[in-house]
Amino acid sequence: MSDSTLVSVENLHFSRAGRPIFSGVDLEIPKGRITAIMGPSGTGKTTLLKLIAGQLTPDSGSVHVGKDNVHRLSRQALFRMRRRMGMLFQSGALFSDLSVFENVAFPLRVHTDLPEHMIRDLVLIKLQAVGLRGARDLMPAELSGGMTRRVALARAIALDPDLIMYDEPFVGQDPISMGVLVTLIRRLNSAFNMTAIVVSHDIKETLSIADHVYVIADGRVMASGSPASLREAQDPRVSQFIQGQPDGPVPFHYPSKNFYEDILAPSEVS
Amino acid sequence: MSPLTSLGRKTLNTLESLGRSAIFLAQALFHLPRIEGARLWLRQMYFVGVMSLPIVAVSGLFIGMVIALQGYLVLSGFGADEALGQMVALSLLRELAPVVTALLFAGRAGSALTAEIGLMKATEQLSSMEMIGVDPLRRVISPRLWAGFLSMPILTVFFSVIGIAGGYLVGVDWLGVDQGSFWGNMQGSVVFMDDVMNGMLKSVVFGVVVTWIAVFQGYDLIPTSEGISRATTRTVVFGSLAVLGLDFILTALMFGEF
Repeated sequence: MSDSTLVSVENLHFSRAGRPIFSGVDLEIPKGRITAIMGPSGTGKTTLLKLIAGQLTPDSGSVHVGKDNVHRLSRQALFRMRRRMGMLFQSGALFSDLSVFENVAFPLRVHTDLPEHMIRDLVLIKLQAVGLRGARDLMPAELSGGMTRRVALARAIALDPDLIMYDEPFVGQDPISMGVLVTLIRRLNSAFNMTAIVVSHDIKETLSIADHVYVIADGRVMASGSPASLREAQDPRVSQFIQGQPDGPVPFHYPSKNFYEDILAPSEVS
Repeated sequence: MSPLTSLGRKTLNTLESLGRSAIFLAQALFHLPRIEGARLWLRQMYFVGVMSLPIVAVSGLFIGMVIALQGYLVLSGFGADEALGQMVALSLLRELAPVVTALLFAGRAGSALTAEIGLMKATEQLSSMEMIGVDPLRRVISPRLWAGFLSMPILTVFFSVIGIAGGYLVGVDWLGVDQGSFWGNMQGSVVFMDDVMNGMLKSVVFGVVVTWIAVFQGYDLIPTSEGISRATTRTVVFGSLAVLGLDFILTALMFGEF
């Protein structure tokens, strides 16, 4: 792994309940860049993030973050490593018994010995960055989906991590929130040199901010390259995905028997 | 799938689950609450212990009153109604206080613990805690385990004291048993080490088992609404059966004369 690479995934195999999810994935996430991992729903994009974070264990292959082989670390070392990571969950995953302020303050309280006034300042800076300083006293149940995601982002960057992973950050966002998030992700990367992995199938937004893109399908990396090179890719599977065509080499339908035969088959309902 | 295969699979699944729960308990116990954990533990003592106090107190009062009433009806037939205090105290201290408190605890605090931890898992709060670099076993599980372990014996003491007070109300104030005989017989027959401490030992064992079942069911459940519902039911059913089964074993060991 070169010095310019922060995360390296080698020959990763992973299956769940006997169903293979990854069959030999190789990818490298360069330092200080935004790398997008794209692919149709159900291809295991979120699973890949959990494997990088050590929340899941692969059947074989390795994941290195910096010099650490993630799945060989002790439990304590793994938790120490995660302090250098931030993750924005699809649901936000805010602690429901803590206010917005306390959610963002949580990582600072548990990992630092900063005085209370400094924690307050840092939390307000992070909340200001996501536009929710005024919502500091609200509880998670009082927030909209978009606001929840922004608070979760403020919490994810509270400790200024080296690596931040975004799990479907644009799903369910209104156009204004979407624009804010796109700008935030770009600004965090450029201002703090934060390495980012964006898992998404929102093509337009993701390609607009990514430096490098991996497209995953059928348990492997189907294509990789810059957003421009993927837009011009000749591979029909890649162009189908990038251009959002409903059907093509990647089938729209879940595998099943012939529709005509299925409709005319004797009723299965007794 | 043949019945034999099905039986084998179920046995393996059960053994695997038991193994997981043993590792889980060991990991959580090693993460004893430290100074920062003391606040979390106190908070859980409030939710698990103090919030269970009303139901335990009311149940203790009524059970003490019922024992006194039933006991009086039997004892007065033999002219032995002075022994009512002894009967109420021994029934409560040895048996009813630890067992009924544990059953109530499984129903109130145990189910709440399972549902709370399960919802935290379903809403990815446990995952996000892990990603912040905080071990949920230390932050979420350990304070709840220790709160359950310590709450149960304290609740049992409350149950016994209030139960005896209920027995006194019915026996002495209502049915007219002599006050001196009620207390005198109780003091003369209850042996601290045999009766009080054995009852407390039972409550400690029940506290460990019921809380262990509750937090493990919450931590290990399938994170769906159906999964939470099933796990909550399992906590109450497994917890209650474990209490009743262990009560027989402990009673046989403590009071059986083999």
